[in-house]
Amino acid sequence: MTVMASNDPDVALMLRVREGDTEALRELIERHQRAVINTIHRSIGDAWEAEDLAQRVFVQVYRSANRYKPTAKFTTWLFTITHNTILNERRRRSRHPAESLDALQDPADPESAGWQPPDPAGRDPAQEAVERELREKIQQAIQELPEAQRTAVILCRYEGQSYEEIAAVLGCSVSATKSLLHRARLTLKDKLRGYY
Amino acid sequence: MSCQTIIEQFGDRLDGRLSAAEQAAMEAHLAGCADCRREWEAYANAWQVLARDPGIEPSFGFAERTLRRLAERPSRVHWWSWRPSIRWAVLAATVAAVAVTTWVGHERAVGRKHAEVYARVQQADYLEDYDVIANLDQLKEGGRP
Repeated sequence: MTVMASNDPDVALMLRVREGDTEALRELIERHQRAVINTIHRSIGDAWEAEDLAQRVFVQVYRSANRYKPTAKFTTWLFTITHNTILNERRRRSRHPAESLDALQDPADPESAGWQPPDPAGRDPAQEAVERELREKIQQAIQELPEAQRTAVILCRYEGQSYEEIAAVLGCSVSATKSLLHRARLTLKDKLRGYY
Repeated sequence: MSCQTIIEQFGDRLDGRLSAAEQAAMEAHLAGCADCRREWEAYANAWQVLARDPGIEPSFGFAERTLRRLAERPSRVHWWSWRPSIRWAVLAATVAAVAVTTWVGHERAVGRKHAEVYARVQQADYLEDYDVIANLDQLKEGGRP
């Protein structure tokens, strides 16, 4: 336990959260908010709802802290909670499709895609439009993947998780994870043809 | 090595998980197979292009708002949103419990009814001479029961 805590600053913070230290939780949120929000956003495609769900993930981290055991990387535990939150949201949406915020938003409206950082290269509007179209195409291609493939792609490509960590989040074997990623990559190759 | 085997190893190559021997075999195959080379380039480029979506930034004050939510009571999750296997198990257990309760209640009611009838029979005056009636034939013949 102490070995894990000394190697992983997140584990040390989490052990403090377990004692009810909300300052430690704030640090954890600040370290991982972007990863959690983007994992949810890439999965469900709604920036506002992604933030709401990400808040629920961190609240769940706090409430489950006494069950946390520092035997694996903290991010594996965090992404497991995130994955379960996404699954619950998808189930809720399938029962109440009209309640989703994205049902009220226009997909063509850039506002509904959440706040994007300003373009550091200062590209012209035409170039920016091309980039936006590409981003939308990528998001659509990822969202159309089957659930497990989508999570595997997001965690591997954007969060740099290893096969082993992804397998732990999805609750499957490493070879199954490898197979999920391979099938997802073949699908993305076809769907993004013309954009690479 | 067949083209199919090569394609199945694309992911390992992309993630740097091929052994030196496998890597060499793949290079040799790609050098001589234009179809696989094209497939590999598309496979790798599609993966690269995903990085062109930088993601979104958390809105200002995200951590603060999250900490404020800690004081909220946990929202109750509707039982129908549980995992399907658990949901159906709970539903089946509930149906079974209702069935058993109904059956036990019915059995008790029948038992009470029987007890009531038995008590009434015990108290019935007209059955006091039951032995006489049952042995009437013997009495008629002059015998004793």
